[in-house]
Order: sequence, then C-alpha cells, then structure tokens
Amino acid sequence: MKMRWMILFFPMVSIIGLSLAVMRHAAEAAPPQAPATVVSAATAPMAARSAGALAIPDTVLAINSDEPMSERVVHYEIDAKYDAVKHAVDATEVLTYHNVTGQALDHFPFHLYQNAFQPKATWVNEAKVMGSRDTNYEKWEDKYFGSEEIKHLEVVGQGDLTAQLHFIAPDDGNKEDKTVIDLPLSKPIAPGEYVQFKMTFQTKFPETQARSGYKRDFVLGGQWFPKVGVFWHGAWNCHQYHNTTEFFADFGVYDVKLTVPQKEIVGASGVKVAEVSNPDSTKTVTYHGDDIHDFAWTAAPRYKVREAVYQAQMGPVQMRILMQPAHWSQVDRHENILRQSLDHFEKWYGPYPYKTLTLVDTEPGSAAFGMEYPTFITGGTTWFMPEGLYGPELVVEHEFGHQYWYGMVATNEFEDAWMDEGINSYSEVKVLDSMLGKDTSILNLAGATVGERENQRLGYVSMADFDAMAKNAYEFYNANSYGGVTYGKTASVLLTLESIIGEDTMAKAMRVYFMKYRFTHPSKEDFLKTIEEVSGKDLRWYFNQAVYGTPVMDYKVARIESLPVNWYEEKKKAGKDDKDTVYRSYVWLQRKEDFVMPVDVEIKFENGDKIREHWDGAGRWTRLGPYEKKTKLASAEIDPDHKIEIDRNDFNNSYRTEANGKPARKVANYWLFVEQWVSQALAWWAV
Amino acid sequence: MAEKQGLLSSGWRMVGRNKRYIVWFYVLNLFLGLFGTVAFFTQAGTILDHSLLADRLVHGFDFGVYVEMLARPEFGPTTASRWAGVFLAVLFFVATALFLPGVLQGYASTYRLPREDFFRACGRNLWRFIRLMIVAFIIFLIVAGVLFGIRGALEKAADESTNELLPVYVSFASLFVIFLVMSILRIWFDLAQADVVLSDQRAVRKSIGAAFRHTWRGMGRLLASYVMATIVAAIVLVAGILVWMKFVPPASVMGAFFVSQLTLLLLLIPRFWQRGVAVTYYLQNMVQPIAVVESVTAVTVVAPVVAESAVPVAPVVPPETQAS
Repeated sequence: MKMRWMILFFPMVSIIGLSLAVMRHAAEAAPPQAPATVVSAATAPMAARSAGALAIPDTVLAINSDEPMSERVVHYEIDAKYDAVKHAVDATEVLTYHNVTGQALDHFPFHLYQNAFQPKATWVNEAKVMGSRDTNYEKWEDKYFGSEEIKHLEVVGQGDLTAQLHFIAPDDGNKEDKTVIDLPLSKPIAPGEYVQFKMTFQTKFPETQARSGYKRDFVLGGQWFPKVGVFWHGAWNCHQYHNTTEFFADFGVYDVKLTVPQKEIVGASGVKVAEVSNPDSTKTVTYHGDDIHDFAWTAAPRYKVREAVYQAQMGPVQMRILMQPAHWSQVDRHENILRQSLDHFEKWYGPYPYKTLTLVDTEPGSAAFGMEYPTFITGGTTWFMPEGLYGPELVVEHEFGHQYWYGMVATNEFEDAWMDEGINSYSEVKVLDSMLGKDTSILNLAGATVGERENQRLGYVSMADFDAMAKNAYEFYNANSYGGVTYGKTASVLLTLESIIGEDTMAKAMRVYFMKYRFTHPSKEDFLKTIEEVSGKDLRWYFNQAVYGTPVMDYKVARIESLPVNWYEEKKKAGKDDKDTVYRSYVWLQRKEDFVMPVDVEIKFENGDKIREHWDGAGRWTRLGPYEKKTKLASAEIDPDHKIEIDRNDFNNSYRTEANGKPARKVANYWLFVEQWVSQALAWWAV
Repeated sequence: MAEKQGLLSSGWRMVGRNKRYIVWFYVLNLFLGLFGTVAFFTQAGTILDHSLLADRLVHGFDFGVYVEMLARPEFGPTTASRWAGVFLAVLFFVATALFLPGVLQGYASTYRLPREDFFRACGRNLWRFIRLMIVAFIIFLIVAGVLFGIRGALEKAADESTNELLPVYVSFASLFVIFLVMSILRIWFDLAQADVVLSDQRAVRKSIGAAFRHTWRGMGRLLASYVMATIVAAIVLVAGILVWMKFVPPASVMGAFFVSQLTLLLLLIPRFWQRGVAVTYYLQNMVQPIAVVESVTAVTVVAPVVAESAVPVAPVVPPETQAS
C-alpha cells in the first residue's frame, strides 16, 4: 500500500518539482526591469571639429604595426547605450569619410541592416521562399522584428539633411525594403576631400536572426549601426540585405563607446581602451579598432572568460574566449583550435596583424553562432560534445579563417560570396586535414569517420546543377544551392585545382594572393589571374567551366573486358585458366556530363601489375588498350590518387571485375539490426 | 506460500522453462528482418559491389561514403527500404499479438504445452486480444499525449532559462517519469492479457477491471520487477553495442552479424521475463477459486495446468468442464 502511493507520489512530485525549477530559472532569466534610456544628441560627444580639419586617424593602437596597413576611408565614432530590457540601442554616430574615389560624390547610400527583419522586407521574403539557416517564418512573431532608424542626420558644412534621406532598393525594387537609405548632398564632395556625417539612430534587435540580435539575456550586436556603402569599380556598391548575402565595407578606424548594464561581460572588435562605471548601474566600455571594416560586440552576464596570448609573427595577440558556463569544459579545445588556426594561417598565407582576437561561444539556441566580424568571431558548440565530434573545431576554424578571407582580403560578399566563404572553406579543409586527418576531420567516433573535404564535396554534388560560383549571392536558386555552390563547390574546385597546378604551387598562389590583396577589395579576376600568374599556366579552360559555368563532372569506367587472344580456338583451350593463355584487355571510359578535364587512370591486373594511363576527356568516351598479358584485368580506376573533388559520382570512377559483396552486406547488416530492434521495441510497448 | 515467492525469480523460471518461445520469436523477427533488408541490400549492391570506393565502408566506416550511396539516384528512394522495414515491424507486432496467448498459456502450464494447445489458446483469444489492444491503444494514446504535452510545456518553459542544462535535465527527468507511468499502464494490460487467457475470460472489460485493481494493489512489486527487467534490457543493448564496436574488426561482417543478432536475441528475454512476472502475479493473486460442480458420476480430472505454487489453486481445465 505504502509502496504504490510512493510510486504515484514520485511522478507527481517530479512534475511539480520540475515545474517549479523551470519557473524559477525562467524567472531568473528575465532581464531586470529598468527604465528605458535614450542618449540625446545634445549630450553625446559628437566630434566637435570643423570640416576643414577633418581626417581619418592614423592610429596603430589595435595592430602590431608602426603604420596603418590599409587605405583608411572611414572613421566611425559611435556612442551607444544598450537597453537590455528593450533589446535596443540608442546611439550617436559620427562618420568621417575620405573620398579616395577620384571623382566627386553627390550622394551617399547607407546600409540599415536591421531593417531586414520586417515582414515585408526582402530578407524575410527571400527566407520564406528560398529557405534560411535560422528561421523559415512559418508565422510572423513580434520577436522577429528588428529595426534601424536614423532619427537625425547632419552633414558638416551642409546642415541638417534628415529630410533628404530616402529608401532605395537597387536590387529588387521592393519599396517596402528599408535596408538601404540614400542621402543626396546639397554640395558634392570633391576627390580627396573629407566629409563628416553626424547622426543619431536607434536600433532594435530581433531575437537572433542572421547572427545578430538577442536571446534571453544575451545580445550580439552585429550590423547594428548605419554603415556607408563602398564606392567600387566606379559606382556606389550598396546592396539591400538579402537572405543569402553578407557584407561589404571600406577599411578604416572605429572608436566605439558601449554603455551596458554593470553586470554585463562585454566582448567586441578591436582593443578595449577604457572602462568606467556610471552612477546609474551601467558601465561604459570603449573600444578602438584599426584597419577593420566592421565592428561587432556582445554582452551577457554569464560568460566565463579565458584570456591567453598568442605570439604571432608581427607581435602578441591577446586571445579572449567568452564561453557559456555549461561549455567551460571545452575551453581548452577552443583555445587549441584558435592557436592552431593562427599557426597554419600565418605559416601558409601571411601574418595576423591585429592585437586581439575575441571568440564568443554564443547563447545556446540562438542563431548567433558561426559568424565572423573583424577580430571577433562566434563559435558553435553544445553542452554535449564528445572528443571525436569536431563541430566546435570546424566552426571556430572556419570563422577564424574569415579574418583573412573577408577581414583582410575584403571581397564583395554580396556579389562574390565564393571569394570569402568558398576560399575560406578551401582553407578550412586544408587546416582541418592537417590537424585532424584527411578522412576524420569532422567525425572520428565509434568507428565512423567523415572528413571535411568529403563534406564540402557532398554539399556541392547535392546541388550541382543550378548555379555558377561567380554569381551574385542573392540570385541563387535557393539557400541550399547558395550553400552547396558557394562553400562546397568552391572548396572542391580549389582542391581539384591542386591536381592541375600542384599542391605546392597552389599554396604559393594563395600566399601571393593574400599578401598582394590584403586590406583591399579584390575582384574574382584578381584571384584567378594570381593563380595563373603564379602557376604560369593558362587555366581559363578550367575557370570557365568551374567558376563561371555550371558544367558538372561525372566520369565513369563504363566497361572492362579481358578476352583470350586465342578465343577462336577450340573451347576447352580458349579461355582455359592456364598460365600460358594470353588475354587482350580493354577499358572503356565515359564522360557522362559536360565538364571536360584530363584524368589519370590506373589499370590493375590480376597478377598485381599496374598501368597508369591519361585521358584528356575531350571525347564522350574512349577505349584504353589493348593490353596483352597472361593475366586478366582486375580493376580500373579514374583519378587513382583521389585528387578530383568535383566528380558528382565517385562510385562509378572505378570498376572491379570480381564483385565484392562485403560492403553491401556490411551496411545491410546495420539496416537489419535497426529494423529488428525497432520491431522488438514496437512489440515491447504495444502488445 | 506462493505469495512469498519473488515475482522476478518465478518469472525468470517460467522464461527458463519455455526458452523455445524466445527462440521462435527471435527467428520470426530475423526472418522478417531479412525479408525487409533484401531491398536495401540489393540497392546497395548495385552501387557498391563493383566500386573500389566501397572499400572505405569495409575498413572502417566512412559515413560520407554511406551518405553518398544513399543519395545516388540509382539507389532509389530510401523510403522504399524504410517502408519495407516499417511494414515488417508491424507484421512482427501482429505476430506477437497473435502468438502471445499461447505463450501465456505455456507459462502458466507446469508441463510442456502441446503445440495444438498453444495454437488453440492463440485462436481462442485472438479477438479478445484485439479488443484489449484497442482499449490499451486508446488509453496509452491519451496518457502519453497528456504526458508528452506536459513535457513539451516544461521543456519550453525550461528553454527560457539561462541555465543551458535545465532543459536537458527536464527532458531526461520527464522522460523517466513518462517511462514509469507507461510501465504501469503496460503492467495493467499485461495482467489483463494474463487474465483473459488464463481465466478464459470472454468479457475483456472484466479482465481490464481486475487487472486495474491488481495493478493498484501490487504496484510496488510489479513496477520494481518491470523496471528491473527494463534495466537489464538497457544493459544488454549497451553491452552488445560496446562489444560490437570494441571487439569486432570493422571488416568482419560475420562477426558483426553474430554480435548484433546475439544482442537482439538477448534483448527479447527481458520482455518475456516481464510476461513471466505478470503470469506469476496472476497465479499468485488473481486466480479465483472455481466451484467445480461434481456430478454423481466420477469426473475425470485432467492434469493440472496451473503452477503448483499457486494457492489457492484454480485448476485450469478444458473450458467445456468449467462452471459458469
């Protein structure tokens, strides 16, 4: 009697206990109620300079260099106060712009990225239609809403031009999209002159979308302030914010004051230069960044912090790792992958010049993981991450790689996304191969393995038919095609390029490209020509197919045959398995798709002999042979060194005469086990 | 006294005396499983048999190669293999329901139940079991729906917490609670099944009612026994997989087959053990004394089929001799 009451009592107490615990923690999670605060333009420390004295600072506080490393076009001075209750920032921004375009500029477009998160915005429309990494917007919720509003804008020497601001939609004409705003000037800015914009703005963050926003008491401030476009190739380049696009901006200097609640632990781009406590239970943290083209920050009260120093080629780098408490046991893994990434990139491509590198382990369940900003990256892990599952290593390495391919080599992510994501994915494969093994760099657990190069290839071949690499990022067939081509195809194409020009030459070309184009905005041809120049080869045949086109590669060993030379003699002799029988053997190769590429072929005979052949792939098919030997063919294999990563079907790249049923039996046995177990489990509970 | 005998030990002895049932069910499951794997095996063979790339599945297990195989158009839709598996799982479920009455009859019997008696019990109780399963299904569905609904709400609330592990704890704790509640329901209907078969009860509602009362009365012993058997099953599963991973070379398909099948065979035992527990409990606590109306002429008493330990004994006699 007592026992059964105890048994019933236990679940009831458990449910009540769980409910109380959940409510208590949920209550703890709720941010403290505090009155909203607004920074007025009058109290903000606007730069009180005259237009005639304008300049971009040549500070080197945040870099290990005696002189600026980029052509500094912009200087942002932002004084921002974050309201942790409203998840909003009220700020003043002073932007000094140096006209180095060589021509007069009579209007300036600005990005207002946070306006993307509105139901009629292009970003949301595209996410709903094309699919998105974070949210598919099955229904609209208020928490998805974000906004960025310029409340006041004046141009030094031209007065208040707030009324002149008007939204434009250069990509799709969507009048409801407010992610780009244009400002016509009353007086053009002559070449070589400076112009200064003073504005007040308010940004409201959504619950994390596209790696920016809040989640519980965490916030990641990315793409949060009005940001001027880039004058590039003779025109303003200021695209709307799209579901599949990232960013593009000029290099410069950032001085940012962030006022946040006292309890917050803050991380940001650049170096921290000051921190003062305010009487209203807030603190103001000041950051300075040199030769960077964006500024991001994070604040949350529960980060656990690891600080460490990495001795880079140009000087020490202060590494700061902000971890979630439940992930603290993984902090060594995070520091290790950062160090190894720095090692590899410095050795292979060039020096990391910045004095800081901040890695943020973002709030669980947020869409802020896996993102890059200058000197500031976000990782991605969970509380359960056994050794052998290399998810954190993959994400951290990838985002660190963006310090080079995006951070310093600042390509146009709207138009040439493959140049940052793809080239970075290629680097990521190389680094992870080196660190964790070619076939085990993502998964090496319980006998199962996966390598990152294989992962990238599978991403590509699953969506190989739709889009070329060289294509505006916002014009892809869908989000999967964007991902498969931009990341997977580019990585696979560059890995395959190693088989054409050699691995060492490719490594040299990458280093030359980095050193030549760091702190600039190279185009796709800058990259491709660098490879051609370093390799000394005309690679247009390859680039036209792989980069500019959509041909797909699928080579196949179509057939192999070994016939006795004396087949016409009496049956019992012909083909008899004696040592004197001579066989005439052939191998047929087929190019099933449109991508033409020379390939090596290895032909093996039953006695162990091997022959290497070469096929230019020009025709649809070819026949290799005859090979007359006293042995039959055993197998033929295209690309025996496995250097080609763009073949859609690797299974038909080889053929063995004698079927081997072992692989099929092995995978079928797994299937059998699962099937029987499910049957037993069903019968256990249901009968 | 029979009441003092442990449910687990008595149930275990029943399983031991009737090992053949486990073997039969295992063989049936293996047969259906093999049948359901043919499509998968054939599809995989068309891609793998002549490809050198397939070697990466033999010496280790390259998961990427496996995924690529599934993605190949010539493999065909994976739903084909999946649905074959689902259908055969349902078939095994139906077969279990069909043959279970014979198993229960065999467990209650002190001698080796003749084949014709086994199948007679199966046939006689088929419709009763279907009715029982319908009732059980409705109750399971309602209770599970409510419990999983509560669990979902708790998890959602826990997700608002700044403690990342709270949702995990909530998830596991609530799953454990659901497991306990569902085990109690399973006990209830296991006793009902035993009652239907061993009392030859046509009115299943009476068996459901009696089983409910006895589940309530004997909940401590019964639940402890069921949980113990489930723990054994979990240990068997984990141990089997560990042995498979640690001691079977990747290239040994036969070794993997042997270990996996042994694991599945052993995994059947705990459920039959639970059945043995239910039958033992029935014999110890639920059997009603039957007033045998003796005529003036001598009645031929058939061999007792009830475990001798069950006191008071309600001799299980052919139905035609039972008093109503």
